[in-house]
Amino acid sequence: MSPTAPILRVAGLGVRYGEQVALHDVSFAVDRGELIAVVGPNGAGKSTMFKAVCGLVNHSGVVEVNGVHCHDRTDRMDLAYIPQRHDNDLHFPITVGEMVLAGRRRFRRWWQRPRAADREVAAARLAKGQLGGSCDKALAELSGGELQRAYVARALAQKASVVLLDEALSGVDSPSTRELMGVFRQLAEGGTTLLVATHDLALARRSFDRCLAVNGTLRADGRPTEVLSDRVLETVFGSAGTEGVDDALAD
Amino acid sequence: MHWLTDPFQAEFMRRAFLAAIVVGAVAPVVGTWVVLRRMANLGDAMSHGTLAGVGLAYAAGIDVLFGAMGAGLVIAALLLLFSSNRRLGQETLIAVFGTAFFALGVVVISRLDTGAELTHFLFGRLLTVGWGDLWLNIGLGGGAVLVVLALFGELRLSTFDHVQAEQVGVHVELVQGILVVLLAAVTVISLRTVGTVMSVTMLVTPAATSRLFARTLARMTGWGVVLGVSEAVFGLILSYHLDAAPGATIGLVAAAVFAVTYLVTLPRRMPHHHRPLE
Repeated sequence: MSPTAPILRVAGLGVRYGEQVALHDVSFAVDRGELIAVVGPNGAGKSTMFKAVCGLVNHSGVVEVNGVHCHDRTDRMDLAYIPQRHDNDLHFPITVGEMVLAGRRRFRRWWQRPRAADREVAAARLAKGQLGGSCDKALAELSGGELQRAYVARALAQKASVVLLDEALSGVDSPSTRELMGVFRQLAEGGTTLLVATHDLALARRSFDRCLAVNGTLRADGRPTEVLSDRVLETVFGSAGTEGVDDALAD
Repeated sequence: MHWLTDPFQAEFMRRAFLAAIVVGAVAPVVGTWVVLRRMANLGDAMSHGTLAGVGLAYAAGIDVLFGAMGAGLVIAALLLLFSSNRRLGQETLIAVFGTAFFALGVVVISRLDTGAELTHFLFGRLLTVGWGDLWLNIGLGGGAVLVVLALFGELRLSTFDHVQAEQVGVHVELVQGILVVLLAAVTVISLRTVGTVMSVTMLVTPAATSRLFARTLARMTGWGVVLGVSEAVFGLILSYHLDAAPGATIGLVAAAVFAVTYLVTLPRRMPHHHRPLE
């Protein structure tokens, strides 16, 4: 693989749920260290796109990670995925440390226990997310920002080159959003590629390097200022859907 | 002191005591996952549905434990087969198959002219447990515990976050299938002890009780076992003195412990004890 080859290449990606086409003909490529916002209205297919890239749903088209053509999930271990956080039971009896350690599962077989090296990596990732003192806490004891940082720590414990975050910033207050964006930026500068699905268009314009606009397919791909123009927004969100978008961007 | 020791003078009571300990120890180990995965309805349907296998095996002269296991696996397979039907939810299918198999069991047993009584299978015959049954239960129960221990990490990850589990290489559906088989195994070892109807009690109630206060999975499982064994033994002693059905008495003791624990731990679970997410 040449040094300039994209870390993630997606070509002609399509997903169907029965007769319903959720996503069709999505193609893009991303380089190492890019911080990318994925925007689109509810039901546009952002989560479906992430799941398809991770191999969690059946899809057509091509996904290549780090130059490896992906046939199944085991070919995609260099990807980490953080699903929407409301999918998880925060009262589940698992500590923050145990959850982050679970990110190391890809490095061992099902019968093997975590090794000392795995625990060291998990502890280091927690410390990086400023959660070093929260190792033995329950998830419900964390604030929204801390919880997202814990999920990010788990993803980083996977030592993946590409991290997909599905609405990681939804419902997170402004200080926590700033903290998380700081973590994302630091990771991107370290060479990790991050794709973050978000509804916060102002944040997408302000804080990301690049923006993908999705609604059934990839509607626009480029610099946030270009993608979040009135013309593109109308295509992605529809004329009725752009009400409020202008206000958000004005903010 | 005699109140505690008197019941165990007779050998059949000592066997019953051991059988109750096996169920009390094994059921919460599997039950922990049933509670966390909110599969109690499946446990209930399976415990009722195994009556069909029990009845058919009894009619055919086969050990009823094999019949129960077979029925449990058939119910699990049917649920898997129909799980792709989006019009009907899993809960609906569980109710349909559970009641259908239960009804089949009632019809088969009521047609038998061997003197077998439906209530024996529904509520167990703890005092008639033989050494053969006991060894079978120990083998099956020990196997179930070993499987849970071996798959502990996979079970934890796929229960907490099945999407992430799948993404890091856990075979989530296989883990779910194995858990259903374990569920059938617990139903089988509960059969003679507390009966088909009450088996879900030992599966769910001790684990649900420890869920109220345990912060980690290991503690939830450990406390579930402590509670399960204590409730089974105390329930058995109580049933001896009250001259009541052992299985039902054990079930009542477990429910009482749950109720007390719920009330005692209530202040801890009040909203002000959780920091707001934002």
